[in-house]
Amino acid sequence: MKKLTRRELALIFGAGVLAGTAQGKVWKPSVRPGVVGLAEARAALGKPLGPEAARRAMAGALAASVGAESGAEAAVTMFSPRDIVGIKVNCLAGKYLSPRADLVEALVDLIAGAGVDRRRIIVFERSSRELQRAGFTIRESGPPYRCIGTNNDYDREPSTSGAIGSCFARMVSTTCSALVSFGVVKDHDLSGVSAGMKNWYGVIHNPNKYHDNGCDPYIADVARHPYIRNKLRLTILDGVVAQCHGGPAFRRGGIFELGMVAASTDPVAADLWAWREIEAERARRGMPTLEAAGRPVRFLASAARAGLGVDDPTKLSLVSA
Amino acid sequence: MRIDRRRMIVLGTAGAAATLHQPLLRTAAAAQRGSSASGDELPAREASWYKKLEEDRVECELCPQACKVADMERGMCGVRENRGGTYYTLVHSLACSIHTDPIEKKPLFHVLPGEKAFSFSTAGCNVECKFCQNWEISQFRPEQVQAYNLPPEKLVAAARRNGARLTAATYGEPVVFWEYVRDVAIAANAVGVKPTVVSNGFIKEKPLREVLPLLSAIKVDLKSFRDEFYRKQVRGELEPVLKSLEVIKEIGVWLEIVVLLVPTLNDSAAEVRDLCAWVKSKLGPDVPVHFTRFHPTYRLTDLPPTPVASLERAWKIGRDAGLNYVYLGNVPGHPGENTTCPGCGEILIRRVGYRILSNRLVNGSCPDCQRSIPGVWS
Repeated sequence: MKKLTRRELALIFGAGVLAGTAQGKVWKPSVRPGVVGLAEARAALGKPLGPEAARRAMAGALAASVGAESGAEAAVTMFSPRDIVGIKVNCLAGKYLSPRADLVEALVDLIAGAGVDRRRIIVFERSSRELQRAGFTIRESGPPYRCIGTNNDYDREPSTSGAIGSCFARMVSTTCSALVSFGVVKDHDLSGVSAGMKNWYGVIHNPNKYHDNGCDPYIADVARHPYIRNKLRLTILDGVVAQCHGGPAFRRGGIFELGMVAASTDPVAADLWAWREIEAERARRGMPTLEAAGRPVRFLASAARAGLGVDDPTKLSLVSA
Repeated sequence: MRIDRRRMIVLGTAGAAATLHQPLLRTAAAAQRGSSASGDELPAREASWYKKLEEDRVECELCPQACKVADMERGMCGVRENRGGTYYTLVHSLACSIHTDPIEKKPLFHVLPGEKAFSFSTAGCNVECKFCQNWEISQFRPEQVQAYNLPPEKLVAAARRNGARLTAATYGEPVVFWEYVRDVAIAANAVGVKPTVVSNGFIKEKPLREVLPLLSAIKVDLKSFRDEFYRKQVRGELEPVLKSLEVIKEIGVWLEIVVLLVPTLNDSAAEVRDLCAWVKSKLGPDVPVHFTRFHPTYRLTDLPPTPVASLERAWKIGRDAGLNYVYLGNVPGHPGENTTCPGCGEILIRRVGYRILSNRLVNGSCPDCQRSIPGVWS
């Protein structure tokens, strides 16, 4: 794939600025605390949803998350044409338990529909190899969007947020103005749940340092760093197939067909929903709760205390498409 | 002067080029280019100290962090990975920093003064000191730094070519590459090169006991005498380090201790007094203790360098406590760098920085009062 020249980049940025100015007002992304939009999407393990079903699910979840009439309308409230949008996918578990490429592409289409040039939409993960293993095609410069690993391109100095001190991927610190966490619904051996918030461990250089104490308060500390907090527009959770036990790697025995896609502007609420679904499946199987299994989900309370979202189940509002 | 990561890599590469010679470099370069590799491209070797748990999980038995690691995940060190229920070290023979240093730089003041130590490190560390001087390698994972495939025999051969009588596992944290340390020590001993280690001592007793007999000397950083400091500033614990020091003493490997004095955090007179009293009672008065000067770096950039007065206070406390060999570090030209005979008070080894100005020891003894000075002198 051809890399963008400086002139091309300047043109793209310029177009974005003009488009934003043409709107004639200060654009602010919409935020709906506690609201999680849900859409049905069913496919068996390892099978694609198909483009049409993926588009329908993604548009439905997005619209439900902000009370919009359509996915396109919802995307306009979340992304400005001036944005450079980074979509962080969590591909640690390989092809069976990573965000489905057709869902990711459906989201890209919606963001592009909001006026963001496709070359300013970047799907990324820690390494290109992880993306490839999960079924993504590396696209250095697009079209139809860019898809690349950050490949150890970190800030040169560490940045502190609460208890963590990390070099952040320049993708989030410098390149992108808007971020999407695109995770999967899965159990995690230490944090209990790995969905949207833990996905951000993939943008720091030293995640291995922050897995003690159920990853708490570290998950919240990464998410409340201004690089994430000030840029996060949306959390998407691929729950078409989920995993209630044995994570974060793929383990067939823990897999279940949840058949849902979730979208939320509240990262805490999104993970709260994922936690609830995992616990429900564990209960159905007669398994102990995550807390009883020795991995209580602590990080959501820390995230809520940091003002990142709603962790109170009574305030969780699930809106179906 | 601060050295950033890129600069470190450049220096490391230059060092490698200077010390290893081209034939080896070509081999190494072909085998490893770490800066853009992902973890599964790294050479993996089954770890020596761990146990398998249910459902493909493992528990590391190398250091007191005792990480329980799920499949596809790594321990806190970042260099050990669980792959399908087998735990692997990703850094055996994968040196990211190599250099020939004077042994005084470690510092090991009672080990072959003035001799060269062929020093090496891999990426990774099992703690996270907020004041880490080598964070550009210790706090990164192996795929994030450039590294060379340098098996033990080649490392020792390079040491000999460079006139080094010692090897030193240093810079990062040797505990996380303990299998490599072990195998380098075996290779070094086979050809009469003395293997040494510079460590935080945060290691479990079994792996420590297995490797110690292979070593000629070890320097341990005792980062504080307060557990709270260890937990807040280091993300480790004090007790296992004290235990390591006692095991080292018991085995009889030559030991020196470094205490980095960080202003306001671990430099109180009370703490230094407690530390010195413990060293004297548990390890004896002949274990050298180096109080060294902190410089702001990594995550502790809001503190000043340690005042020389604090260092001199610690120096006095140590000597008043009955320790025979108390040194000051990172203050070149200070009398606290010299070795003085505890018997007659005469200066035996005069140093400035890493340079030896004079060495009056005769067969490891004071030429004036014939007192034997402990250390590794030949």
